This record gives sequence, structure tokens and C-alpha cells, in this order.
Amino acid sequence: MNRKELQQIAIDWFQQQGWQPFAFQKQTWTAFLQGKHGLLNAPTGSGKTYALWGAIVLEYIKRNPEYKSKHKKGLKAIWITPLKALSIEIKQATERFAEGIGVPLTVGIRTGDTEQKERAAQKRNMPDLLITTPESLQLLLASKGYDTMFKDVTSIVIDEWHELLGSKRGVQMELALSRLKTVSLSLRIWGISATIGNLEQAQEVLLGQNNTHLQNSVLIRANIKKKIKVKSVLPDTMETFPWRGHLGLHLLEYVIPIIHQSKTTLIFTNTRAQCEIWFQKILEKYPEFAGEIAMHHGSINKETRIWVEHAIRDETLKAVVCTSSLDLGVDFAPVETIIQIGGPKGVARFMQRAGRSGHQPGKESVIYFLPTHAIELIEASALQNAVLSNQVEDRMPFLNSFDVLVQYLITLAVSNGFYPEEIFEEIKRTFCFQAITSEQYRWILNFITIGAQSLQAYDEYKKVEIEDDGKFKVKSRGVAMRHRLQIGTIVSDAVMTVKYLKGGYLGSIEEWFISKLKPGDVFTFAGRNLELFKVKNMQVLVKKSKQKKAKVPSWMGGRMSFSSEMSDLIREELYAANEEDKKSKELKALQPIFERQRKESIVPNSSQFLIETFKTREGYHAIFYPFEGRFVHEALASLLAYRISLLLPISFSLAFNDYGFELLSDQEIDMQEVLDNDLFSTQFLHDDLRKSLNATEMARRKFRDVAVISGLVFTGYPDKLIKSKHLQSSSQLFFNVFRDYESDNLLFQQAFTETFEHQLEEGRLQQALERIEQQDIVWRHCKQPTPFSFPIITDRLREKLSSEKLADRIKKMTIQLEKP
Amino acid sequence: MTKTKTTYCYRQTFELHPSGGVYWHEFNMLLIADVHLGKVTHFRKYGSAVPQGAITQNFDKLDQVILYFKPAVICFLGDLFHSYVNQEWNMFSNWIQTVEAKIVLISGNHDVISPVKYEELNIHISDEWSLGSVLLTHHPESREGMFNISGHIHPGVRLKGEGKQSLTVPCFFKQTHQMILPAFGVFTGKHILNPKLEDEVFVITEDEVIQIP
Repeated sequence: MNRKELQQIAIDWFQQQGWQPFAFQKQTWTAFLQGKHGLLNAPTGSGKTYALWGAIVLEYIKRNPEYKSKHKKGLKAIWITPLKALSIEIKQATERFAEGIGVPLTVGIRTGDTEQKERAAQKRNMPDLLITTPESLQLLLASKGYDTMFKDVTSIVIDEWHELLGSKRGVQMELALSRLKTVSLSLRIWGISATIGNLEQAQEVLLGQNNTHLQNSVLIRANIKKKIKVKSVLPDTMETFPWRGHLGLHLLEYVIPIIHQSKTTLIFTNTRAQCEIWFQKILEKYPEFAGEIAMHHGSINKETRIWVEHAIRDETLKAVVCTSSLDLGVDFAPVETIIQIGGPKGVARFMQRAGRSGHQPGKESVIYFLPTHAIELIEASALQNAVLSNQVEDRMPFLNSFDVLVQYLITLAVSNGFYPEEIFEEIKRTFCFQAITSEQYRWILNFITIGAQSLQAYDEYKKVEIEDDGKFKVKSRGVAMRHRLQIGTIVSDAVMTVKYLKGGYLGSIEEWFISKLKPGDVFTFAGRNLELFKVKNMQVLVKKSKQKKAKVPSWMGGRMSFSSEMSDLIREELYAANEEDKKSKELKALQPIFERQRKESIVPNSSQFLIETFKTREGYHAIFYPFEGRFVHEALASLLAYRISLLLPISFSLAFNDYGFELLSDQEIDMQEVLDNDLFSTQFLHDDLRKSLNATEMARRKFRDVAVISGLVFTGYPDKLIKSKHLQSSSQLFFNVFRDYESDNLLFQQAFTETFEHQLEEGRLQQALERIEQQDIVWRHCKQPTPFSFPIITDRLREKLSSEKLADRIKKMTIQLEKP
Repeated sequence: MTKTKTTYCYRQTFELHPSGGVYWHEFNMLLIADVHLGKVTHFRKYGSAVPQGAITQNFDKLDQVILYFKPAVICFLGDLFHSYVNQEWNMFSNWIQTVEAKIVLISGNHDVISPVKYEELNIHISDEWSLGSVLLTHHPESREGMFNISGHIHPGVRLKGEGKQSLTVPCFFKQTHQMILPAFGVFTGKHILNPKLEDEVFVITEDEVIQIP
């Protein structure tokens, strides 16, 4: 059959469904049948699954003309999804197509939720298409004979590649692909990505460096333009608008009419805690919604989440309060309106959420932005401009993630074993390890075999062993088992399951929250008020409570930062506050806040860099406003605090948000001295920044992830906590011993590199400092905190930097006594 | 310059050392809790590459505090050894030959090595030891009329200062009838306690013991 005849099979099926294939679907079929690799840029709900699965099936028909009668068993295609929740939808769609055109291809799912029995059955007899996650794919690489299993795989699709790209799961995927390119004899690699700023780079990362795959590849853009309408939820009067606060409940009453107006509304919150509170408060104030609204977030049990998803589709819900858990995947046709509470921090995320509404072709997506504090109104206005000009941020791929490489090499050593030279050639062609040196590789090989760089007498380190012929292999069953348990790159806090005393699973909750509660305390979870009965074997046993007042668990989510594009927009928007004719509706509403700001200080224009200092009960505050986004501010705060700390022994507490940063100290900073010493200089920037990290705790948090991923820290056997306790130790402790005894360790160094370098786009900090050098510095000594400073100084998530002697710091401190 | 701190309980004199050790003047005895020898090697044996440098540091620290007080008796208040016998046991056996003081071990929950092995090294092993009105144990205990000195908890406290400063530091935790020692070992964590008004807290830094008022 020629290509045209093949494609006609798919087109016929589309027409039977009453559809017409889109241009991007036909382009994908053609490119795939031509033997090309590629990246498909298409949004959720556009038919992207059929674009690639269609191509895979047509290719199968091409290779097996007698496909209707003869079926050769064995794995032929792999579909990677970052969310296991999406796998069922994909299975249904792929089965529907295969059955529709009469190709007897089987589809199976293998994720963390797949039962042991099912997995074993799969190992004996693999389906034709396996839908799985990056972690489960690694687990397959950790099983003996994976090369035979993958030998006849002709295609692998990485769905939602943009979600993986900027994370270590992306690195894990790059490594798995580098292996598959060797063991699968004729493999085609395809990715699917939503729109991001760096699509070409995404394609390069997916296909790797210096190889024929990238050369023989295409980037196909679906070019489906969605009309998005952004509206701000504004109060009638600004008098009561809070200066800070992250809940946004003061605007609750404005949300109700929006919910009434549309069939179904999704209300996106940024944290699970916020989600719980909004759900509770809506019901409390408007009990008539009982049964008509629901809640959806990642800690709620799977059954409830699936129930909510079905209910949305069946149009039985008026509104769902949710988190990023509903960002991806499945289509919800009845959703007409989206409400975003608080800044979404990214244009792409905001647009993706907007795209969850008005799914029918031609329909407009409507999203309401509800600011949680006054300054966020500037964000609202900037977001509208961003959506108009389609300014989407980049997803930065990781470089030199040695922790993931260590994990991967041990994975290979657990299954078939590996020969270092062969694998070195493969990994050098990945984007992440394109610059790895043979010294670094040697270091890693030493690390996994002798746990050091030189062999010590009588050392008992045991992990990977080297066989006589040079093969690296894990021989200890214990090592292999612990490694399999720990495969993955998502590091989370210890999680406990929440259960009713009488039975019934409610969800999972972070250990540190529960550790703050005593039996008898009441907390809110999954929309209910629960009384803690006791904690036993990592299970939280609870009873229903009638008590109204309850503690709300807060989940530590990753804090997002503005992209540089978004920061530019925010700055422009803010500068416009000084120009009467350029003001948007949001800026006009902010007028009373600007007036208060001007009483004590100024609203800077584009040629001004504002610094405010004032004293409160807490100490001496110095606030700087570069408006460059949180990540830049983190680095700037650390840099500046470090440079000041060289002038005198001083301790700082640092806080930052997307607008500026604060240095707080018990001593007054001589700001004139700071300015005279040119502390914003770009000279020795890299060096100073690195040194500043030694004085803060920032690298510690990164090290925690690195230590878990590389297997330095063992997180324990499931449900067997006691037995592994003597192997557990806090990553803090690990950090300290590495700092004191092995600070040149590559994994330890990686924590420092990752702290700033990964999250800051190259040169962004330099550019920010250069911009500040061009500006006039306006330093205002204020009598009290200004509206601009308020959200920063009240932030409780802080960093510390000190150049004082520990003993001197201790002598100025006191203990908080236990309340009697 | 090492700065110690002296405190009195039940008319006995205890000198607290920044290493976490306590010198009991009346009995010429050095008390040390929770060294957790063998922990680094134990981790390495199970595939976790903790730097080996931390192993010798424990012995160096022991040497320093012994040299400082030159005690007649050293009493370890439990968790001397973290795990079953491994290479660090041999290092410990060699090290013990260099120590002149008599050594007693109050066994703790981690001390799973056979008492016979300790006896071979002339280390006397016991569940508890009462000397006059002072009771030495591993787990904190309260007994009528006795002052208890123990370990096990790895006590630490959180300190707060102006300018939103805060720190957690290991400490000696002293109550009316009890004193808990900080963990002596290099590769050990700490457990944060909330003192009451009447409790006394002595935090330790590298070279100084500081009483928190």
C-alpha cells in the first residue's frame, strides 16, 4: 500500500465519526510514514492522540499487509504520559481507533497503580501499545532482559513533553531514549508539546545531540488559535482591598454570579490549602450550592477525583474548586468559565487554564482573574497584554544532572549490567550530558562502585560491582530492591494516608502538618472537618467532627516565579501608573493604593530604582524593587546581603516576591555605604553569587533532592518504617558531612549549581544589574511600611545569611518557652 | 580556646564541654552520650556513600575531650555503637587500647553488639548505674530522690532573635531532677525540645558552651 492509500484508511475512519482530519494530523501521518522523528505542537483536546497513534497504526499496516489475519505478539509502541490519570483516556482513544479500522492491536497500561498480577502478566505477554510514565519506563529498564522486550519497538511517543522538559523527569526520559535508540532496532521518536517559548529547543532535547535523529526530524505546529477573553474581578471600592494575603476571599461574593451564569465553572487556586478554604467558604456562605460544587486536588483519593471528573462531564456540577491537578489532559466540554484566583505566575499556565473552557471549535475561552491583594491587580493587567501578544515562557532543560545519571547507571546495573564505554557514547549524545567530560564520568563510575574516589583499606561500601570482563553489575539483592523502590526524580515530603477510624481512605497528607497536631485537634481535609484520633504506622486515623473551627493544612508547593517576559510586562504596566493616559481599568482601580504609596515613598518610573528603608518592631528593613521576578530577586538578595556582610559582621533574614526583595536585620544598614561601595556591580558576579550560597541555606534544599535521586538517602520501605529506620537520616545531616568532609563531591556541587543557575535563564541576573546601573537610585527612608513593601515584609518563607560568629548570634537570642 | 560551663545538681559539680561531654568532678568521670560509632560504615555497607572522613572525626573528638579532662572513668550513656559489628568496631578496639581510663557502657537501644565483645575489651556494660543520688541511664528516667543523667533524645532547641533570626542548636537540657546530654557523634541529628520556664538550657557551639538565659 502506498502512503496515500494508507492515509485514506484513517481519513475514512474520521469521516465515519463525522470528523475531518486537521492539517496537522495529516502532516504528522505523512512525516511519520516517511520515517521521520519529530515534535508535534498541539494543545489538549485538539486530536493530538489520533495524529500520532494514527501514524503508528498506519505504519503497522504498511509493515504487515496481512494485519487483519496475522498478529505477531510483542511490544511495538510506547506512549509516555507524565500523569497516570491521563492513561485511561489515552487507552480508550487508541483502542477506539484500532478497533474502528479493524487492526487487532492490544493496548495496556503500566503505572504505579497497576497491580502486581497485571504487571507480571504483562511481562510474560506485552501488549502492542504500552501506555506508561517515565518512572515506570525506568523500572522496565531495571528488569532483566529489557533489551529483548524493547527490540521490536518501532515508536515511542512522549506526550505533554513540555511538562517533562523543565524537570528532572525530562532528564530521565532523555536517558531512557538514549538507551532505546540502541536496543530498539528501528525506533521512531515523537514528542507532543503545548506551546512554549522554546519549541525548537524542546525538539533538540527530545532527539538528542550529534545524531541522525535530530537531522531527520520535523516540528509540526497545529496552529490552533484559541480566542481567550480575560476579565478581572474588581471590587466596587478599593478601600477594603488587602495589601497582602493569598486567599482572595474578600472577593467571594463577586464569584457567585459568575458561577450562576455558566453551565460549569472551574475555579483554579494555586495551593491545595487555598483550594480547601475556598471550597469550605463557598459552602458556608452559600449553602444552596451543597451537592453542586466539588473539590479536586492531588491529595484527594483517586476514586473521588475520578468521580469529580465524571461529574464535570455529565454536567452535574456547577463549579469545581481545583489546583493544577486539573491543568492537564481530559476534555471537559461543559466547562464554560474559568476563574483564576491569585497570580498564575506564568502566561503559558494561565492560557492553558483558560483553554479548559469553551472547548467546542470556534468557542471563545473565558477566564476571570481574581487578584488576592492589591498589587496583584498589576499582574491582572499585564496578563491581558501577555495573552494578546501570545508571550509564552520557555521551559529550561536541565544540564549535567549527575544525580539522575547516577540513578540511571545503577538502574542498568540492576538489570542486565552495562559496559561503561558503550553507555558513555550514548549519554554524550543527550542534551543534558552533551558536555560531560571523561573525568566526570570516571568520577561517577567510582562513586557507584567504591563510594569514593580512592579505595580505602577495609571499606565496606557496596553497590555496583565490576565483573571480570568489565561489566558493571549490582549483585546484592538488597541493593537492587532498595534501588527499585526509589526510582524516580520527584522528591516529596513524607506522606501519610488519612483514614477514617472505621475504615475508608480519604487521601494523603504531608507528615510535617500532622506532626504539628495533637490527638483531638480538628483539621480540614478533603472538604471535611476531621478530628485527629491517632497516628499509627504512617496512617492518620480520624473521626468526623462537628466543630466549626479547624486548622487547614498548607501544602508546600513549589513557588513559581515570573518569566522574564512576564516581568517586562509587569514593569511596563507599573511604570504606566505614572502616566495618566496609559492607565488600564486595573491601574485606575489601584489609584488609592498608589496615593498611599506616594505619601511615604514613590511609584517608580522606568528611570528609577526604588529602595525603601524603615524600622519596625521586627528590626531594620531595607526593600529593593527591581520588578524582575522571584528567581532573580532570590539571587539578587543573596548577592547583596553577601556583599554587605563583607563590610561588617551582620545577620540577615531575606524575603522576596515577584516585585522586589527585603534584607531584614537587627542592625541598621548604612545605605549610603552600600551605594558608595557600588554593591550592585556586575563585577565578580558569578564568584560572589557562589560564595553567597555558602552563607545561606539555599543549597541545602536542592541537596535534599539530589541526595534522594542519587540514592544517597534512602527514603524507606513502604509500610516497613521501623526496619529501615537505622538507614534513615535527615538530608540536613548528609549536607553537613559532605560540606565538612567531601565538599568537592560532584553531587554536593550540583546542589549549588542548581540553586541559581538552573532557574535563572542565562544572563538574566547580569541584565537586571546592568539595568539597575542605568537607573537613578531613589532611596526613601520611610516612617512606616509602604503598600508596595507589605506583601514582602509579611512573607514568612525566608532565607538567612550571616557573617557573624555563631556564638555571637546565639548570645543575642532567646528561647521560645512552651506555653503553659 | 575551649569555654566550658559548670553547673551544680544535688551538690555535685558538672563541667559541660562544647563537644557534648560532661565532666563529673567529684567522681573524676567523663560522661558521653550517643556517639553512634559505626553509623557511617553501616550506611556505606548499604550503598549510601557517606564521606569516610566523618569516621575518624569521632575518634579525634573523643581524644580531645579526654585530653582536656584526663578522667579516671569514662561512662558512655548508650548508643555507643550504631549497628552490628563492622569495620569501625576494629578501629574502636584499637582506639580503646590507647585509653587509660576505665570504661563503662550503659547500653542503649542501638547497642546490639554482644556484651561479650565489650568485656573482651575490658569495657564494663550495664543497664544503669547509680552513684550516690545520681542515676546514669540511656533513656531519661525519673526515680524518687535521684538526679538522672541520660542521652537518647539528642536534644536541641530553637532560638529566636530580632530581625526574624532563628537557629536550631544542640544543647544540654537540664531540669530539676534530670539532665539530658546532646549527641556526641559527628553523624547524628537532633530533636528539638520546647523548654519550660524552670528548665535550663546550655547550647553548644564548636568551642563554647552558652547558657541561654
